[in-house]
Amino acid sequence: MTDPSHHSAFEDAQGLFFGTLMCALGLQFLTHAGFITGQTAGMALVISYATGWDFGPVFFAVNLPFYWLGLRRIGLTFTVKSLISVTLLSAMAALMPRWIAFETLNPLLAGVLFGFITGSGLLAIFRHGGSLGGIGIVALMVQDRTGFRAGWLQMGFDAVLFTLALIWIPLDRVLWSLPGVVILNFVLAVNHRRDRYIAT
Amino acid sequence: MHYDLSDPRHYTTFEDIQGLVVASAQAALGIHLLRAAGLVTGGTAGTALILSYAFDWNFSAVFFLMNIPFFAFAWMARGPVFCGKSLATVAFVSLMAEALKPLVQIGQIHPGAAAALFGISAGVGLLGLFRHSGSLGGVSIVALILQDRFGFKAGWTQLLHDLALFAVALFLLPADRVFWSLSGAVILNAVIAFNHRRDWYVVT
Repeated sequence: MTDPSHHSAFEDAQGLFFGTLMCALGLQFLTHAGFITGQTAGMALVISYATGWDFGPVFFAVNLPFYWLGLRRIGLTFTVKSLISVTLLSAMAALMPRWIAFETLNPLLAGVLFGFITGSGLLAIFRHGGSLGGIGIVALMVQDRTGFRAGWLQMGFDAVLFTLALIWIPLDRVLWSLPGVVILNFVLAVNHRRDRYIAT
Repeated sequence: MHYDLSDPRHYTTFEDIQGLVVASAQAALGIHLLRAAGLVTGGTAGTALILSYAFDWNFSAVFFLMNIPFFAFAWMARGPVFCGKSLATVAFVSLMAEALKPLVQIGQIHPGAAAALFGISAGVGLLGLFRHSGSLGGVSIVALILQDRFGFKAGWTQLLHDLALFAVALFLLPADRVFWSLSGAVILNAVIAFNHRRDWYVVT
């Protein structure tokens, strides 16, 4: 067994890899159904639906400004891990449609599975010191400094994003996107606990 | 820590329930992906999959029925709480795997993708189940009892079971499906081996 208080480089690498693969699988449910989500991933999805551009490159691009913030406010390791996670997810999300295609997908289940799978994937990324960039960086910074739970702050951003999304995306699809966002943030709010998962 | 957090050392009932529900759904999704590509895996779920392919039986029914004798072992080995959690988890995985058939129909899936996505989804699911003291019943419980009573390593029991299972699979499935099935089982066990650490994740 390795040092119990710190993850080794290999342990972090597998955590970030498995975590981003989970997130990419969860996103596949979402994009097949034409739904959106919160945070920068949601912003990238709205841009991608509105313009027809691929999600992967858009997601990579919208996160660029946040690395500067991560670097200045949190540190080099976190910023590098976030850059790796975002890059991996951008690539995996681009490849995923070649690997798996759905014939039918129940809209409620698309949201539930997205929330469970991507929620757990994000949990793994957070526990290994990374993030999916953007709002996650701001939210984690706020939780570490003030104790205000990252899940709640992200929910506030998401409320604004969903309202703006109505300009480009039909109301029913925006509404069907809500269960997924609520479930994802619920999984994070209940399970992201520094006092329980103590390795860093 | 912060005022709104529950006791860091123990899960509340609600926290256990959400953990078991999320984890069971991930395990069921993993099995659903595996089934879509015609692959198998180790453990009781693997045996249930092979039986469902060979005799065209319903996976969920076979999986649940096969686990019934193991619940008695679970009670003997780890007590009523563990038995109850395992029963609830196996029931939920069975129901969810059945519900996914009409609700998430997979048009096409690369067998390598099925193996990898099964490995992470079911692997993370099992991790969640273990951390909330549940299980997917079956062979692993017998393996734990054998280790406790006779000192025969649990890992060897599971390995012997899985070797027999894959030997049977070689007769039933094309060689490439057996190869991809093995890859999936390796990924699943890698997820658990790297991440199931009582010293990292301290809550019970």
